[in-house]
Amino acid sequence: MTIFKSVQSVAAAQLAAAAFLIFPVFAQAGDVEAGRARAQTCVACHGPGGNSPTSSVPTLAAQPEQALATMLYQFREENRKNPVMSPFAANLSNTEMNDLAAYFESEKRLAPKHQTKPANLELGPGLAKKYNCTQCHGPELKGLQHIPNIRGQQHDYLLAQLQAFKAMKRADMDGNMTSASTGLKDEDIVVLADYIAGLGN
Amino acid sequence: MVMKHALSALALALAMPAFAQQAAAPAAPAAPAAAAAPAAEPPPAWKQGIDGTTQPVTLHPFAPKMTGVAAKDLKMSTLKVPPGFKVEVWVDGVPEARSLAIGQKGTVFVSNRNAKNVYAVIEKDGKREVKTILKGQNSPNGIAMIGDTLFVAEHDKITRYDNIESNLDNPKGELVVDGLDPTNGPGHFWKFLAAGPDGKLYFNIGSPQNITMPGYNQAAILRVDPKTKQMERVATGVRNSVGMAFHPTTNKLWFTEHARDWLGDDGPNDELNVLTKEGEDFGFPFCHQGDTPDPEYGKYNTCAMSTPPVLKLGAHVAPLGIRFYTGNMFPAEYKNNMFMARHGSWNRSTKQGYDVMRVVLDDSGKVTKYEPFLTGFLLDDKGDPPMWGRPVDVQVIGDGSLLVSDDYNGVVYRVSYAK
Repeated sequence: MTIFKSVQSVAAAQLAAAAFLIFPVFAQAGDVEAGRARAQTCVACHGPGGNSPTSSVPTLAAQPEQALATMLYQFREENRKNPVMSPFAANLSNTEMNDLAAYFESEKRLAPKHQTKPANLELGPGLAKKYNCTQCHGPELKGLQHIPNIRGQQHDYLLAQLQAFKAMKRADMDGNMTSASTGLKDEDIVVLADYIAGLGN
Repeated sequence: MVMKHALSALALALAMPAFAQQAAAPAAPAAPAAAAAPAAEPPPAWKQGIDGTTQPVTLHPFAPKMTGVAAKDLKMSTLKVPPGFKVEVWVDGVPEARSLAIGQKGTVFVSNRNAKNVYAVIEKDGKREVKTILKGQNSPNGIAMIGDTLFVAEHDKITRYDNIESNLDNPKGELVVDGLDPTNGPGHFWKFLAAGPDGKLYFNIGSPQNITMPGYNQAAILRVDPKTKQMERVATGVRNSVGMAFHPTTNKLWFTEHARDWLGDDGPNDELNVLTKEGEDFGFPFCHQGDTPDPEYGKYNTCAMSTPPVLKLGAHVAPLGIRFYTGNMFPAEYKNNMFMARHGSWNRSTKQGYDVMRVVLDDSGKVTKYEPFLTGFLLDDKGDPPMWGRPVDVQVIGDGSLLVSDDYNGVVYRVSYAK
C-alpha cells in the first residue's frame, strides 16, 4: 500500500469565505480565465480550444466541467494511466483542475471530421438506446455534470474507451459505465464508436 | 396510484427478460438483429428490475465533484437549522467525504466510496488540515474506532490500524477478515462499519442487485470479533444498510435500510430498523416496509415472517449514517436523540432527501418524532441536479457539536448550538 501525505490548509478557504458575500452564488467552481492561461500545454495535443486534431486524442471543448475535472482527478490519482497524460495531471491541484475544466467547457465543439458509414448511421440510434447510452449521456449524447459529452468525440478514443470499459480496465466514476458496458457486443462497439464520432452539433 | 400502475407493468416486465436472456445466450445474433431486439441484454446493475415498458430520458445517478468545491463557493446561505443552532463549513478539501469516525485524541477520520483514500482531519498550529493517511483502497467506505485502533472496511475485507493517531504518517495495517464480497461484481458492495458495545465490528453485505434472491451472506448484517476473527450473521433480509448505531442506554443496534427501486415514486419506503434478537429477518426480498409483498418474490414468503421497520422513512430518501446524540452542547431534549443523514433520491421524478433528520425516541424505544434538522441542500426538486450538497454521515465530536459529511462537495460541516 502506498501512503503519502497531502496536507491542505483551510486558512485560505476561511479567508475566501468572506469573498462569498461579493461573488454571485451560482458561480462555476472553476475560473475560466485562469484555466485558459494554464491550458497552453493541453492544447499542444488536444488542439486549439480543446478541439482535437487526432483521432486517438479526445476533444475537450464543450465537455461538462465536472466530467473534465473528474477525468483529471482520475489521472492524478492514478486510477487512469496514460504515459503522455499522466505526468501532466500528476501535479495539478484541485483548483487548477477546476479552472482547466471550466475553460474547456466554455469552448465550442467544432463539427467532427469523422464520416459515419451509412449502415452505422442507421444502426447507431437504436444501439445507443438499447445499451443505455442515451439514458445517462442524454438524447443528444452531450452529457451533463460528471457524464461526458461524447457527441462528435474522436473515433479512436471512443473505440478504445468502450473496449476498455467492457474489459473492466477503464476507471469509472461509480461503476455505472462499466456496468453498462459489460453487455456490449464487440461488433456493436465498432458501430457505436463510428456512429457517435460522426455526430455533429 | 403511481405504485399500483408500476406494479402491474413490472410484473409483466419481470417475466419477459428472464425468457429473453435465456434465448439470447447460446446464439449471438448479428448486429442488425441485436439492434431490433432491445430487451435481449441483461440490464446494467442499477437498472435491474426496472419497468421495461418505459425508458426515462437522461435519468442518471449524481456523482460527487471529485475535485471538491471550496468553502467560498458553497451556497451556505440556503441552509436551515432550528433556532439557536448554527451550521458552518468545518473543513473543505476532503474529496468525496463519506463515513466519519472519531479518534480518542479527537482526530476525525473520513472515508471514500468511489475514491480510494482515507483521510485524517487534524488540528496543527491552530489550523485544521486534511491529511491522506491511506491510498489505493478499494471502496473503503466503512471506518470505525475501537480504542486507539482504526478499522477500515473495503469492499471485500476489513483491516485494522493499531495506535492510529500516533502513526498517521505510516499506518500499519493488519488484515482482520476478507472474502466479504461474494460476487465481486456491481451491486451493493461498499460497507458501513460500526463498533459494537461488545467489542465486535458490525457491517453490511448488501444485495448484489436491486431485487434478487440473496445468498446466505448477502442482504445481511454480519459481525466479526476482531480478536478471534470469527464471523456471525446477525440479521438477514436487509437489502443494504449503510448506517448503523448502538443506542447509548439499551445497546440495541439501530440501522437504516435502502428499499428496492422501480416500484414507483412513493414506495416502498426506506426503513429505520432495530435489531431485537440475533438472526432476525427484516423481509428482503419477500416483503418491503413490513407490509408490502414484493410483486415477484412475495409469493415465496409472507410479511408475517419478518420484522417490520420501526419507522418508514419515505421512498427514495436514501438514509445513510445515523448516530445518537450523546454530547452536552445541544438542549437537554436532544439527549439520546438520533440524527440521520439522508443522501437523497436520484430516480424519483420529484426528488427528496438531501438533509439531516432528527429522530426522537421515548424510553421504550418507540419513535415519537421524525423531523428535519438540517435542510436547504435541495434547491429544485425537479432540477438536474436538484441539490447542491448531499449529507452522508453524522458524528458527535468532543465539544458536543455535530459533524455532517457531504460527499458531493467534499466538505464536512459543523452544527453547533448556543443559547
